[in-house]
Amino acid sequence: MIFYITTIIIMVLIAPILLSFIKMVKMYLLFKRPISILQGYKDVSKLITKETIISKEASDITRIAPFLVLSPLLLVLFFLPPATSGAFYVSFVDAFTITGLITLSTFFLMLLGLDSASSFGGLGSSREAFISALVEPAMILTIFSVSMMANNLGVAQAGVNLAKEFPSNHMASFLFAGISFFILLIAENGRIPVDNPETHLELTMVHEAMILDITGFYLALIESAASIKFVIFASLFASLFMPFGLDLNPWLSILLFVAKLFFVALLVALIEVNTAKLRLFKVPNLLGIAIVFAFLSLITFYVLGA
Amino acid sequence: MNNFFQFDMLSLIFGLLIALGAIPNILYSKGYLPHIDRKAHYNIHYYTFIISMFGVVFAGNAFSFLLFWELMSLTSWQLILTEADKDRESILPSARFYFLMTHFGFIFLLLFFLIVTNGNLEIGFNQMALIASKFAYPTMLFFMLILGFLSKAGAVPLHVWLPYAHPSAPSPVSALMSGVMLKVAIYGMFRFMFTVLPNWHIEWGVLILVLGAISSLVGVLYALSEHDIKALLANHSIENIGIILIGFGMGMIFNSLNLHTLSSFAFIAALFHTFNHMSFKSLLFMGAGSVLHQTHTKNIEKYGGLIKSMPITAITFLLASISISALPPTNGFLSEWMIFQSLLGSSQITNMSLKLAIPFAIFALALTGGLAVACFVKAYGITFLGLHRSQNAKHAKEVNRLMQSGMIMMAGVVVALMLFAPWFIYIFDETLNSLGMVSVYTLIFPNGYLNMHSVAVHGGVVSPQILLVALMVITLLLYLAYKRLGIKERIFHTWACGYDTSARTQYTATGFAGPIRRFFEWLYKPNEHITKENIGTHQSKFSQSSYEVHVKPLFEKSLYESVSKIVNFISYWVYRLAHFEQSRYAAMIFNLMLLVLFSYRIFAHQFSWATFVLESTVMLISIKILIIGDKK
Repeated sequence: MIFYITTIIIMVLIAPILLSFIKMVKMYLLFKRPISILQGYKDVSKLITKETIISKEASDITRIAPFLVLSPLLLVLFFLPPATSGAFYVSFVDAFTITGLITLSTFFLMLLGLDSASSFGGLGSSREAFISALVEPAMILTIFSVSMMANNLGVAQAGVNLAKEFPSNHMASFLFAGISFFILLIAENGRIPVDNPETHLELTMVHEAMILDITGFYLALIESAASIKFVIFASLFASLFMPFGLDLNPWLSILLFVAKLFFVALLVALIEVNTAKLRLFKVPNLLGIAIVFAFLSLITFYVLGA
Repeated sequence: MNNFFQFDMLSLIFGLLIALGAIPNILYSKGYLPHIDRKAHYNIHYYTFIISMFGVVFAGNAFSFLLFWELMSLTSWQLILTEADKDRESILPSARFYFLMTHFGFIFLLLFFLIVTNGNLEIGFNQMALIASKFAYPTMLFFMLILGFLSKAGAVPLHVWLPYAHPSAPSPVSALMSGVMLKVAIYGMFRFMFTVLPNWHIEWGVLILVLGAISSLVGVLYALSEHDIKALLANHSIENIGIILIGFGMGMIFNSLNLHTLSSFAFIAALFHTFNHMSFKSLLFMGAGSVLHQTHTKNIEKYGGLIKSMPITAITFLLASISISALPPTNGFLSEWMIFQSLLGSSQITNMSLKLAIPFAIFALALTGGLAVACFVKAYGITFLGLHRSQNAKHAKEVNRLMQSGMIMMAGVVVALMLFAPWFIYIFDETLNSLGMVSVYTLIFPNGYLNMHSVAVHGGVVSPQILLVALMVITLLLYLAYKRLGIKERIFHTWACGYDTSARTQYTATGFAGPIRRFFEWLYKPNEHITKENIGTHQSKFSQSSYEVHVKPLFEKSLYESVSKIVNFISYWVYRLAHFEQSRYAAMIFNLMLLVLFSYRIFAHQFSWATFVLESTVMLISIKILIIGDKK
């Protein structure tokens, strides 16, 4: 139980650091003076002391939605695969529930975008609805395929099973699922090439557009929701597709888990530096690749057993 | 006629469904009544409609079933016509279309009954099963059933009437038709597939699964392109009927493969989704009706900001939107979860081609879920959030108490279906058990009511109650933290790049669905009109512009219009024939005699191509000369 709670606390605490880390790596590679790795904390602490400005045009949804954007994601943290083999974990929650909770958070985020009567908000919501509608099938198919290899539909149990017995004779479908999941990680978290989290330019933005009229504590909630979403996907990627090192000393394997999270963040940073943002209507092609890989993964697993 | 009514478990649970759907609706309808001009006409048909639906599910023989079925169709047709005086151009054709489609289905039901009853309509269902088991072509009976019931339930390709009929009816009636009447058709599927045709071929299940998957995608895609809020909801009914059929088809497939626990699980999922769809779709139609009642327009682009003036409607509509989008922990999520789990149980299937087909159904269901979220963000956000988009929306007030209480009661049903899911699943299980399926209740709830297990091997577990409580606790903790910090609040205008915020600059529903419409352009084939008044010779500067887009459903365009073209062509020639001069009638008789003689030669004696071609040529020439004549 103690490792369970420690892992959750570590994930919450590390979430802002991971996003700052991505930014830091990118700035370093672009020969800029990198920001501090604690920049995420500085932003949040600044935001929660500011006064909240609420739009006159907005309704009560603006007061409720930021909480409901964050809380389903916090709930998902409790259902993730364990970082170490001895730890307690909620074994049974399946991909459909986890996707559902993430979509619940996105649902309220999209409502928030439409609430302030600004055209930017609607623009962001519209694009987000488009992207997340296409992400959902790929996500469910991918996790389904991985669960088949792990022989359990519960995501956490699948992670444990994979760590116990690596599916070395299903390597092909495992790799396909891994590629598909990594594309989804990028798409769901609004990273380049799907969305650029750093610009405030109406041509490119998706996530930022929805929250343009949110300030103070509410913005802090939504920014932390974004970082926690990244941690969720990174830890799912770490547990399902890098399932090793759970049998070490518990503290050591938690440390290894954190290292895996940083590795995923590093990968994302490298991709961001090396690719340009796609046009919105090219994004479905990328997501189509994810869907095709998910199908391929399932079909190779079924037909070839490989 | 001692079996005019029968009350078994299946009838009773569908009776419960109708009662749950109708009681809040009656309250709502009482509140809606001042809005209706022909009150007596409305009331008579409304209550007869409800009674006839009860009659269908409690009918004990073919005669009473058909009697109440037809009564249900006719009263709902009259109810669509209630407000015909206000908008003749759109209501009369849609009522006519509904009448035609519902009787198209009725013909097949009648044929089905004439075959399985041997012409004696008073025998009970069990005796029908005996006759049906001796009938040589069970697949024909199956096709008659699905044509009869799915044309009522609104599955592809017999769904085209829904987006016309439901919006034309008064709102309580649309809620009742979409929420309850479609479920009566699902009752028919359950009743006759289980009791009269119990030996299923595996192809039947696959057909229903495919129809379900296509219906769910088609429904949600056309819902996204709708501007009329009630037509949007009607399209979502097609989607949800598709989801129910996916569950039903999976149940049949598993049953044919002797996977009995999975089969029961899939059927329970289908029944549960039937109940859930009744609850949230009725609620959504009631909410849409309240909005329509206040704003006097069905166009979603003319709403906006209604959450401020209509809080009760807005909150209940939000609950129903979350539920229909299948987001946890609502009841809509639970039943879709069950259907997903039964699809995931497909790993136990050994037939490879079937096994490979099922990921496509999973894909269809998941994509439907994603698009449904987009669609309800659109429906909710454009209707209730932002600024008022028109004068109509500005003058809207909350609806009267009776309508409010109808909506609140229905919201209660939605919440009850979520919190008391174990009890509902228990009665569904008992029902299926009474129909000869395996009981799986103890497998779904092996330890207590809180954890719902999938019966698939190593399946998932979900618990609506725990999810709900956990979400509430976490949200409350965050909220307390916010209150504890004592942060100051300031209210100020939305920043609009230095301009005034105005209702005109908000995103529209058309704009919201824009990216999705553009991605599915090959399906929608949208008809776009852009008019601009350019300033001078500038191409990019204009004083006024308008953009309109219309999407005509593909099925309607291809399937129905080609049928109507053929019918028109035939009836044109029948008309031509009927208006001949007398001399031509004589010529026709001469031609018919030739035809008889020639065909006698061909069929009774030996056949040779040479004489056939010769005789056909003679026929054609004589037809051309004697009957058609020369063109004037």
